[in-house]
Amino acid sequence: MPRRAAIWCALGLGAAVVYPLLFGGPAPLLWRSSYALNVAFLILFAAFIGQSWNVAGGFAGQTSFGHVVFFGTGAYVSTILHVTWGWNPWAAWPMAAAAGAIVGWLIATLSFRAGLRGSYFALITLAFAEAFRILANSAPFTRGGLGMLITADPRAANFQFRDPVWFYYVALALCVASLALAWWLTRSRFGARLVAIRENEDAARALGIDVFREKVRALTLSGAMCAAGGTVYAQKYLYIDPSIAFGVDKSVEMLLVSMIGGAGTVFGPLIGATALHLVGEVTRDLGNMVPGVKNAQPLALIVYGVILIAIVRYLPDGLMSLFRRARRRGGGA
Amino acid sequence: MIGTGASRRAFIAGTTAMAAGSLGLPSIGGAQAKPVKVGLIHPVTGFVAYNGQQSRLGATMAIEDLNRAGGVKSMGGAKLEAVLGDSQSKVEVGVSEVEKMNEAGVAAYVGCFQSPVGIAATQAAAKYNTPFLIDVGASDLLVKRGLKNVFRMKPGFGRCVDDGIAALGALNKGAGGGAKTAVIVHESGEFGTGTAKLLAGKLPSIGIEAKELIAHDNPTRNFDNIALRIRSLAPHIVMMSNYGNEYMLLARTLFQQKVDLMGMFSVLGGGFNYKFVKEMADASQYMMDTNHWFNPLSASAQALKKRVEAGGALFTFEVYLSYTSVALLADALERAGSADKEKLIDALGKSTFKADLMPYGPTKFVDGQNEGGLPAVMQSLKGEIEVVAPAQFASAKAVFPRPKFN
Repeated sequence: MPRRAAIWCALGLGAAVVYPLLFGGPAPLLWRSSYALNVAFLILFAAFIGQSWNVAGGFAGQTSFGHVVFFGTGAYVSTILHVTWGWNPWAAWPMAAAAGAIVGWLIATLSFRAGLRGSYFALITLAFAEAFRILANSAPFTRGGLGMLITADPRAANFQFRDPVWFYYVALALCVASLALAWWLTRSRFGARLVAIRENEDAARALGIDVFREKVRALTLSGAMCAAGGTVYAQKYLYIDPSIAFGVDKSVEMLLVSMIGGAGTVFGPLIGATALHLVGEVTRDLGNMVPGVKNAQPLALIVYGVILIAIVRYLPDGLMSLFRRARRRGGGA
Repeated sequence: MIGTGASRRAFIAGTTAMAAGSLGLPSIGGAQAKPVKVGLIHPVTGFVAYNGQQSRLGATMAIEDLNRAGGVKSMGGAKLEAVLGDSQSKVEVGVSEVEKMNEAGVAAYVGCFQSPVGIAATQAAAKYNTPFLIDVGASDLLVKRGLKNVFRMKPGFGRCVDDGIAALGALNKGAGGGAKTAVIVHESGEFGTGTAKLLAGKLPSIGIEAKELIAHDNPTRNFDNIALRIRSLAPHIVMMSNYGNEYMLLARTLFQQKVDLMGMFSVLGGGFNYKFVKEMADASQYMMDTNHWFNPLSASAQALKKRVEAGGALFTFEVYLSYTSVALLADALERAGSADKEKLIDALGKSTFKADLMPYGPTKFVDGQNEGGLPAVMQSLKGEIEVVAPAQFASAKAVFPRPKFN
C-alpha cells in the first residue's frame, strides 16, 4: 500500500475508533447520542454486507440480485441454533457463516455448472432468495410468517449489548476486516483471477484460469460474509421474519451501496453506504420540515431518488471515481 | 449617555426599567409550561403508506384538539408537540427513529402500524424506559415480552379472533348451521399468519373445518389463482386477514369470478374501510369483518368523522385508533402531572381511561394489553359499514348467509 494511502487508512481507522467517544461511553466528549452511534452502525453494517456483494459482484463480476439469500440464511441459522437449540449466539455465529458459505457454494455450483452468466445468473440468485423466503414462510422450524423472536437479555456474553457502542464496534470490526479482505483481493492472485473473469471470462479461461472454480470460491466467500452480517442483524433487532430476512430490499441495498460507491473497488461499499445513509437520513428529516405540508415524506423520497439517479448518470463508476479523478488531477499538476 | 443630555435621574429610571424588564421576561417565559414532545412513528412512505398517513392524521388531530382544549392542565397547560417520524416499513429505520426522537426528548412514542417494526421499536424505547403506545399493531407478541413500557389500547389478534369466532358461530347457528367449511386467506407476515393459525384452531369449536390456509405475499397484485383455488375447494366461508390493498383485490377478484359463498368473514381485514365499501360497493356487499371500530353511538366519534371527511380524508380505523392512543397518553400525563417517564408508565399502567370514540370500557392494562378493548363485527350493506355485533353498539342486523349470485 502506498505510504500516503496507508496514512489515510490509519487516520480513518483512528477516527472510527474514537468516534463513539464523542457520543457514547461513560463521559461523551461532545454529547450523548445513541442516534449518532446508530447511524454510524447502519453505515458500517451496510458497508460490510455491501462488501460481501462486492466480492462476487464487483471483483468477480457475478452480479447478484438475490444476495439476501445469504443474509437470511445467516440470520435464521444462528437464531434457530440460539432460540430452538439453546446455543450461545457467539457460538452460533460461525455456524451461520458456514451455512452462508455452503449456500453460496451450492448456488454457485448449480448456476455455473449450468453455464448461467450475466443477467441469467442475476435472476437465478433472485429466484433462490424467493425460494428461501417461501421456505422460511412455510417451514415449522422457522415458525413461518410468525417470525422468530430472540428474548431480550442484554449481556455481552449473549451477543446483546446494553450500550449501543458495542454493536458499533462489532460493525466496525466486520467492516475493517472486509476492507482488508478487499484490499487483499486487489493484491492476490485469487483477486487477479476474479478480475480477469470479470473483464473477459472467455479470455480468462483461455489463459488457463479455472473459471468455474474461481467463481464458486468467490460466491462461497461472499455467502459466508453476508451470512455473518445476518446474525449481527438478528442479534441487534432481536426479531426476524421471512420478509425481513429474505426481503428483496436488503439485496437492493447491498447492490446499491456497492454500485453507488464503486463496484470492484476496496472502499466503494464504504463510500456508497456513507453517502446513501446520510442522504437517506437528511431527506427523511426534510420530509418533516416542508412548511405548510403535513406530510412531505413522499417528496423526500423523490429527492432521494433524484440524487441516486444523478450519481448513476454522472458517475457511472461510482463515487470512488471522484477520488480517482482528483488524484489524476493532483498527479497532473 | 449622561453627556448626551439625558438627566441622571432619567438614566437611572431607564436602566432600572430595563433591568426589571429583563428580569421579568424570563418569569413570563417561565409561566409558559414546557411542551411535552410525543414521537409519532408511522410508515408514511412504503407499501402501507396510506395506513401510516391515516395514523399520523389521527394522532396529529388529537394533539391539536388537546392543545386547543388547554393542554395538560396538571402541568400548567403544557402543550403536546408532535415529533414526526417515518419508519418506511423497515425495522432498522423504525429503530433509528426511536433513537433520534429520544434525543429530541420525547416523553412517549405512538406507533408503528406494522407489528415487526413495533416489536423492534418498542425494544429500543425500553432501553430509555420511555412509554410506547401501540396504536395499530395487532400482534400479541408486542405485549407478551414483559416490556414495562409498552401499552396497547386496542385488542390484539387473540381477542379479535375469539370475538370474531363467537360472532360467526352465533350467525351460523341462527342460520341453521349450514356453514361447515372455510378457507383462510392471509398475508404471510406475523400478523396474518398469527391470526390465521388462531382462526384455524378455533373454527372447529363452532362446527366449521378450515379446509386450507392460503398465504400470500405483500404486496400481491393478482388474486386470480387464489380465487380459482378457492372455487375448487368450494368452502362455505372465506376468511381473510391481510393488509388493505390485498384485501380489496381479493374481494374484487372473488366478486368478478362470482365465487358463491355463504359469507366472507374477515378478522382484522385491513381493507374493510370506507374507501373499500364506497368505491367497491358491489364487491364489498355483505362482507363482514371483525375489527376495531369507533362507537357509532358516540357523538364525539361522529363529530370527528365529519371533521375528517370535511378535510377530504376517510375515517379509517387508523385515524381513530391513533387519535385515541394520543388521548390515552394525554390522560396519563394529566394524572401523572409530569412527563417523567417512570411516573408516566405508572399512570398508564393504572389507567382507567374511558375512550369516548371507541366501544370500550374503562382501560385495564394487564402486561400492557388493555383488557377493556372490544372489537366490533361489521358488515358492508348498501355502501355503508354497519356494526352488527356486539348488540349494544349494533346499528343493523346481519345478513347471513349472503344471497347467491344469479
